[in-house]
Amino acid sequence: MTPPVRIAQLSCGPEYSGVQHEINTAAKEVNGEIFYPDIALKDVQHDFDIFGLDVRSPDLRLAIARAKALVEGRVEADAVFIATCFRCAEGAIVRNELRHYIHENSKLPVVSYSFTERTTSGTLLTRMEALTTIARRRALLARETQQGITLGLDSGSATTKAVVMKDNKIIGTGWQPTIEVLKSAQEVISHALGEAGIQRDDVQAVGTTGYGRFLVGKEIGADLIQEELTVNSKGAVFLADRQHGPATVIDIGGMDNKAISVMDGIPGTFTMGGICAGASGRFLEMTAKRLGVEITELGPLAMKGFAGRVPMNSYCIVFGTQSLVNALATGSTREDVAAAACHSVAEQVFEQQLQEVDIKEPVLMVGGTSLIEGLVFAMGELLQTKIVVPPYSQYIGAVGSALLASGFIKDD
Amino acid sequence: MTDYIPARVGSVTKYVVVESFDVTPADLAARAYEISQGAMIKETCFGLVINGQPEEVDRLIAELRSVDPDHIFIKDRGFPPGDSRRCRANLGGARPGYHGMEYEMTIIPYVSHGLEILKDNDENKIAAPENPLAHRVLDISRLKKIIDAEES
Amino acid sequence: MAKVFIYPSTSLILSDMVARYGHTPLSSAVAIRERIQTAGFESPPLQITPEEPKKGLKWAAVEVPSGVRGRMALYGPMIEACEAAIIINDADFAFGCMGCARTNELITFLVRQKNIPKLDLFYPKSEEEGVRFVAAIKRFLAGLGGSK
Repeated sequence: MTPPVRIAQLSCGPEYSGVQHEINTAAKEVNGEIFYPDIALKDVQHDFDIFGLDVRSPDLRLAIARAKALVEGRVEADAVFIATCFRCAEGAIVRNELRHYIHENSKLPVVSYSFTERTTSGTLLTRMEALTTIARRRALLARETQQGITLGLDSGSATTKAVVMKDNKIIGTGWQPTIEVLKSAQEVISHALGEAGIQRDDVQAVGTTGYGRFLVGKEIGADLIQEELTVNSKGAVFLADRQHGPATVIDIGGMDNKAISVMDGIPGTFTMGGICAGASGRFLEMTAKRLGVEITELGPLAMKGFAGRVPMNSYCIVFGTQSLVNALATGSTREDVAAAACHSVAEQVFEQQLQEVDIKEPVLMVGGTSLIEGLVFAMGELLQTKIVVPPYSQYIGAVGSALLASGFIKDD
Repeated sequence: MTDYIPARVGSVTKYVVVESFDVTPADLAARAYEISQGAMIKETCFGLVINGQPEEVDRLIAELRSVDPDHIFIKDRGFPPGDSRRCRANLGGARPGYHGMEYEMTIIPYVSHGLEILKDNDENKIAAPENPLAHRVLDISRLKKIIDAEES
Repeated sequence: MAKVFIYPSTSLILSDMVARYGHTPLSSAVAIRERIQTAGFESPPLQITPEEPKKGLKWAAVEVPSGVRGRMALYGPMIEACEAAIIINDADFAFGCMGCARTNELITFLVRQKNIPKLDLFYPKSEEEGVRFVAAIKRFLAGLGGSK
């Protein structure tokens, strides 16, 4: 068995919130091993002073000193997990500064997380899997071209997508809402194969990603079963032709959002949020329904409106929708309401997630919601940048999977 | 969720820390083994960890203290000796509490000195230490109020 | 024999002094031991489960971070049970159980609210201060009466 990936934990509070076991369990499930960088008291006092962030909590001082030991190579690690209590201002400041500091000064992949007593290993699993993948599979993630004939499947919470690729080109796609995970997967695969004019037996390697990746991956005998953080990063830079240098990938999904800071196609820091439906594609679906338009029409509608004309009292999918309904009742136009909904989702993602990664241009928006141009526009306004939506952006996970899967083609 | 079945229920664990020129942890361990009646004794770099029934541990530490009373310090520990949940080898680094103890070890020589002096001196005849609560700087507006009150 | 809350509650020096002069120190270790020796659900390393932050609601509201509430589940009952307290005011390097500044602020506040004998000190920084430090603690503990 390969030795476990050594994940250094920098934290304050998980042991006392009853979630340390959950962190350890999530790491263990992806063959990772949590450890605490060993330093002496004099290092704590000295390094804390040098770092210069004058926090009061001793455990945060310890985390700062441990981060310095990692960056300076006094303690070896493969990856870093930073965790502090949700709602702790001091903890959040340290978490952000350490993430930034490690990202800028080392090659260590970092994930930061703010937990509550309700955090479970399941919530942490995808993040840990991405951390260990980046640490362990750099060679695999370095792949820039797709070879042979491969199939990628993205079994998402809202939709299931498949692509067939051949010699670095997409030759078939399939898409449908996720109903029964396996059945939806089989149907989109059939569609993609049909469009490509390829038999299942001709496919040389298969990759799966998304929530249903394990279930579907096992069923269809996937060569690569991989979480969506690394896969989407690869897919995004491949499709946008930005495989070298920095990039930021934003994926507002059906159930959670991802914001990933990428360097040469490999994630450096990333966040995943999934607590609020108001920051998801679901909110836009509900708005479209209320406005009596297809989700595909919401984007163009929003582009004709002005979000600032509709007062939104809440980001919540319930109360926010109520604000929209009230606006309609008091004479707001459907265009303005559509724009306000897009702005609301973009703003919440901006405020709650994008602060946790370093935004570097180009900013790539991917996933199904990237086709809603009103949302992309709103995000561009907030970030003050022109956002790039690569072709096939809704198939991002499937493309990333197909690309990476070609590393598994056997030479026979 | 897995059930947790505790071990050594009803036992107590104590750290016996020795900071002395005359007594080493090894000396203390030898003495502890000599007089122990069933307690578990583990020697460490700073002294001993002792686990056993409360009465037995109390008896043992009372005797151990007498070896060098001004230089032996004792405190409770939550975990029994060698517990993998707190072991440095498993955690990769020291448990957080270790650094706290490391810090106090720099203070202990002053406390030892205090204990030595107090053997032959009445504590009531020794001046009080600086009072942290009296240390607060007087607020300028309060000072003005006091001055105004004095003048009127 | 009085139950004496010590701050920092992980302190070797205070724990030793209180026991040495015949009283019972209430320390973090005792609260942790209670959890380590109680059956329940597995939650290593400290056997603090997600139930603890909920118990902590007695001392801190739900918007207070879980780490504070979890720690308060350890300290709250000790603060309620204590009959005297010794507080070191410059304990800047007490980690782990005492690793959260917000919890520590709440602990010292709650202890100060109690109408019990209290002794506030700084750590000694010289031999002379060491003598005053020990003398003050000895006097304070003798004043509590009933030592063993």
